[in-house]
Amino acid sequence: MVDVAVMVKASLDANMIRVDSSGKLLIEEIPLVISEYDRNAVEEAVRIKEKFGGKIAVFSVVTWGPLAKRINDTESVLREALAMGADEAYMVTDERLINANPLQTAIALASAVKKTGNYDLYLTGEASMDVISAQIASRIGTILNLPTVTFARAIELDIENKKVKVLRDLEDSLQWIEASLPAVISVTGEINRARLPMLLQIRRAFAKPLKKFTLNDLNIQLLDVGHRRESVRLLMVSRKNIIIEASTFDEVSEKLISKLIEEGVIKPRI
Amino acid sequence: MVETVIVFGERPSLLVDASGLVAELLRNGFSTSMIGITVSNGDVNEAARYGFDKLYVIEGAVLPDQVSEVISKIFNEVKPRLLIGSATKTGNDILARVSAKHNLPMLTEVLSVSLDGNNIIFERNILGGRAISREVTSKHAAVTVPIKKFKPFEISQKIAAIEKVSPPVSNVRLVSFEEKKKSEVNIEAADTVVGVGRGFKSKDDLKLAFDLASIIDAQVGCSRPIAADLKWLPEDVWIGISSKKIRPKLYVAIGISGAPQHISAVDAKVIVSINKDKNAPIFKYSDYSVIADLYQFLPVFIKKLKEKTIK
Repeated sequence: MVDVAVMVKASLDANMIRVDSSGKLLIEEIPLVISEYDRNAVEEAVRIKEKFGGKIAVFSVVTWGPLAKRINDTESVLREALAMGADEAYMVTDERLINANPLQTAIALASAVKKTGNYDLYLTGEASMDVISAQIASRIGTILNLPTVTFARAIELDIENKKVKVLRDLEDSLQWIEASLPAVISVTGEINRARLPMLLQIRRAFAKPLKKFTLNDLNIQLLDVGHRRESVRLLMVSRKNIIIEASTFDEVSEKLISKLIEEGVIKPRI
Repeated sequence: MVETVIVFGERPSLLVDASGLVAELLRNGFSTSMIGITVSNGDVNEAARYGFDKLYVIEGAVLPDQVSEVISKIFNEVKPRLLIGSATKTGNDILARVSAKHNLPMLTEVLSVSLDGNNIIFERNILGGRAISREVTSKHAAVTVPIKKFKPFEISQKIAAIEKVSPPVSNVRLVSFEEKKKSEVNIEAADTVVGVGRGFKSKDDLKLAFDLASIIDAQVGCSRPIAADLKWLPEDVWIGISSKKIRPKLYVAIGISGAPQHISAVDAKVIVSINKDKNAPIFKYSDYSVIADLYQFLPVFIKKLKEKTIK
């Protein structure tokens, strides 16, 4: 039996950027989706459960506003994890956590985890897809004072000896790291291919428990660490967006080649 | 007023690179004393000449928890305004651990720094490189900087006092370690890059892209599925925010749909996209788009390039 806690972010969908007519970014309109690498973390937990038994709890902190709408979005994200095979879900939601930074998010997650039980393994994605801070595993591991291994490409559990072996995927090397359980691990997108839940599993997920905590429920104060997000602005990409069209590929090729010669990025045969 | 900063680099070369942020702060009128921390079993005399007042050298540590313990101790003694590191996987991991110990906010991969009174303001990319977040810090903070983002100090005659530190024992064990296979190409430095994606049906078909690349003297890179899932090409030519970032004059994206993680890793003067799906997101980020089946278009395009261009 291996009990696993998975940290899952309801992340802004970078494929669905919303702007108003003046080009201003409308963050409150951008849909939230399960952060890609966190989905891999849920998948890994489900595979571990299939092999060794145990239960899976998923945790999420609502960090984008407006609160009421984002609670619904986060609930959908957690239901997706439940449909994949997690057993119970916990959401930390508090007006004070809107725009929380990774420090505040990690404290909220660690507190929620501690409140709900003891786990053998704590998993999360290597980074969220919206703000890509890549800090949560290292922070939670430090707060809980547990062995922590980041960027896992493979996880091998040795239940008898209460150990885990992790293939750590770095820029130019691969490391096998062994840690004793309980441990905190962040996973890369290469660790597995996440399943798509079946309709029946999606229906069943609605019967699984989903509990909400506020900061007061967790007995924690929000730390003021002198950091705030002042603004977010859209990065304007100014590309020419010219579609090269013609009736034959010969002509398309000639048009494209002459454009690239004009740009000075390929050299003409004189 | 002089505030202290600590710069950490997991290798001496990365230490020097990350200290570029401090050089940038000085240009903005910030005054500081700079302490360096690095990991090395060799000679660090050169690194010690890049503007550091003191340099701590951790010997024999390879694991993040060991290094973060050492930094944490020095942090406690010095209480620096900023803790700066390289935005590598290891750098981010180590600084996040130190940040958790000392309740520091941490900003990963900052792109710019400026001062406003007592506030230090950083900008960073969010939303897959499509937006810039401007963040203000008024107290202690940790930041990591992308490699080669800020110009380091000039090397000087002043050599920092060097103190060697033995790390504590790690709470995990390194069982084995292997260098990743390197292909012959350095895609990050290439002037022209051809990118291949899922539009290719088989590994053999990539020959079309390599033929094109040989004519325009380009290196071939790829999107994530080609390297990570299908393993048709080595991972060191995978273009994406969690792998290689490219800055060529010309990028030709073939059969690539254009996920945010891919797009934000491409900083090219001219982008050409070839894709049969007219709704592929890559077209929004392209200067020249050809909406066509690559299997029909590439042979013709290659033939014409041979006729009309030279390397």
